[in-house]
Amino acid sequence: MMLSVIYAILFYAATLLLIVGVGRKIAIYARTPAPLKIPTTPAPITKAGVVWRMTKEVTVFQSLFKSNKWTWLFGWVFHVALALVLLRHLRYFQEPVWTVVALIQPFGKYAAFAMLAGLAGLWARRFLVDRVRYITNLSDHLMLALLVAIGISGLGIKFVSHTDIVSLKAFVQGLMYFDLQPLPSDGFLLVHLTLVLILMVVFPISKLLHVPGLFFMPTRNQVDNPREVRHTAGWTAE
Amino acid sequence: MKESRHTRQGFWAAALIFALFSLPVMAGAPVPDIPEAVKGDQCVEETGFMRKNHMELLLHQRDETMHRGIRTKKHSLKNCFTCHVVKDAGGQPVTVKSPKHFCRECHDYAAVQIDCFQCHTSVPGGHKTTGEKL
Repeated sequence: MMLSVIYAILFYAATLLLIVGVGRKIAIYARTPAPLKIPTTPAPITKAGVVWRMTKEVTVFQSLFKSNKWTWLFGWVFHVALALVLLRHLRYFQEPVWTVVALIQPFGKYAAFAMLAGLAGLWARRFLVDRVRYITNLSDHLMLALLVAIGISGLGIKFVSHTDIVSLKAFVQGLMYFDLQPLPSDGFLLVHLTLVLILMVVFPISKLLHVPGLFFMPTRNQVDNPREVRHTAGWTAE
Repeated sequence: MKESRHTRQGFWAAALIFALFSLPVMAGAPVPDIPEAVKGDQCVEETGFMRKNHMELLLHQRDETMHRGIRTKKHSLKNCFTCHVVKDAGGQPVTVKSPKHFCRECHDYAAVQIDCFQCHTSVPGGHKTTGEKL
């Protein structure tokens, strides 16, 4: 029970840090002025066009595809697989579980391998491509290591040494209902959860902030109408 | 200045007390209501082991029986239902069609599909109907 209490406290703290931290960053991004009209051309000339452009950025990583096919391939595979894996994990947070989430279970299971393959490609790139290795920081390696370790420990639970997922779900539901339930104490599970806690804590101060940051790119989210509408923001408004 | 600090402290104290008292009022977390076995006090393996690994035992049993022709009772699906049955109001064992069925209680909760009962029976003794699809 001691273990359950410790993990419950850690999860509450990490969730608070994640929400407040990312919320704060989004507020900062939203308040940061983009004084210049700099959409990368050819750019959409209507707001609906910008929405479509951003949709393509978010779903198929259009800019990345245009700039580097290998990075796009590994990056896109990783992100899509991660989305499936996250959807699969939704079952722990829902009761009753949505039908889509139930149907996605078998796919999410194998998506974990695709996720690791994508990460392996992205990590190899940081060693094998000279120009990328030159600009690689320690934190780039650490984020990849963290995600890889989360993936491997998760696969460990699924394919090597099972945990009692019914108890685990009860623990998660207990956190959500403020009604503490015991957490199973299996090795892979505890490693997996600890790494996820670390991820939640570092998320608001890491490169992973590209998740909200993507939506604030002036070169992608601006309408190409400099002559029709005078653009003022920040010091250009004064 | 001093008074406003007291007011603030009072507010936080009140908020804390409110939060503490509101905890037990909240609804309990949804947990599966795992039905007791109808007989015996020990499963074929230790309970904790069964909760984690029953699927491995069943799959291994399937391979032994189907591929190698070694049919044993201990880890057979049929043997599960000698103890793990849930009876309906009429005293009849419920099939897997019922959400109260022993397997479904947890499988529904964890959103794990059961592939057994498309062919196998889900009640002790078996009955003639097949294809008890979920």
